[in-house]
Amino acid sequence: MATLPQLQSRLGRLAATLWNFGAEFPVPTLDSYDSGEVGFSFAARLPGVDVPKAATIRIVEIWAPGARELDIVEYDYDFVDYPLNRRRAFHRHSEEHFLRDFGVTVHEHCEEILGRPSCDHYHGIPVDADEAIRRFMIAWGQPGPLGCNHLRCIR
Amino acid sequence: MHKKPFLTPADIAEELDISSTTVMRKIHAGEIPAIVVSERIYRIPAATFELYKAGRLRVAEAAPLGGRKPRPRVGAGEPIPKPAAAPLARRA
Repeated sequence: MATLPQLQSRLGRLAATLWNFGAEFPVPTLDSYDSGEVGFSFAARLPGVDVPKAATIRIVEIWAPGARELDIVEYDYDFVDYPLNRRRAFHRHSEEHFLRDFGVTVHEHCEEILGRPSCDHYHGIPVDADEAIRRFMIAWGQPGPLGCNHLRCIR
Repeated sequence: MHKKPFLTPADIAEELDISSTTVMRKIHAGEIPAIVVSERIYRIPAATFELYKAGRLRVAEAAPLGGRKPRPRVGAGEPIPKPAAAPLARRA
């Protein structure tokens, strides 16, 4: 749960974290949507090797008004390391579907070879953007497997 | 600019001519942002070190309000898995 000013602070902190790791992106804003929800969405380009293109991180969060404060209802934390040709992501969306059919609210993506996942969706545990960025940073530019084979495939 | 994309605390200590202990103190104080790989392994992106040396590291500030925008379609284009079909019951 969070208030609007808390979300503004949180977004500002996330942005500063990424900028200080050398990421490039415009100042993100906390937006409001016709649905009554608020949220933010931005994509950052990471420094370093940029062949075939630079690694990217996408951060999206949607928050809905709750009884007293805002509750997060969807997120998309997605990291594509193009130079190492792989991807890692933490997602929360289509919750009703995933809960009904698989008993999970969130899922993950993991591609040791970009575009050729061994499994389309993995079981996940809820993470916040700080934790997602922490994990992406550890994986960023480091050769060796991401460890997708340790995850549990949703089937 | 550094040739290596990531630096160790020892690399930074050498370049700044200070001890690794001092570098670690700066990391723990948040003066030098670092990637904490494990309890004993820290990596500093070369870009971070350049920002540090130039005094251009940013301090977090509240993000501005952006007004009304189209709602992002989270997960758009992502195929949603279907549950495996239940095995057919054997006929008696």
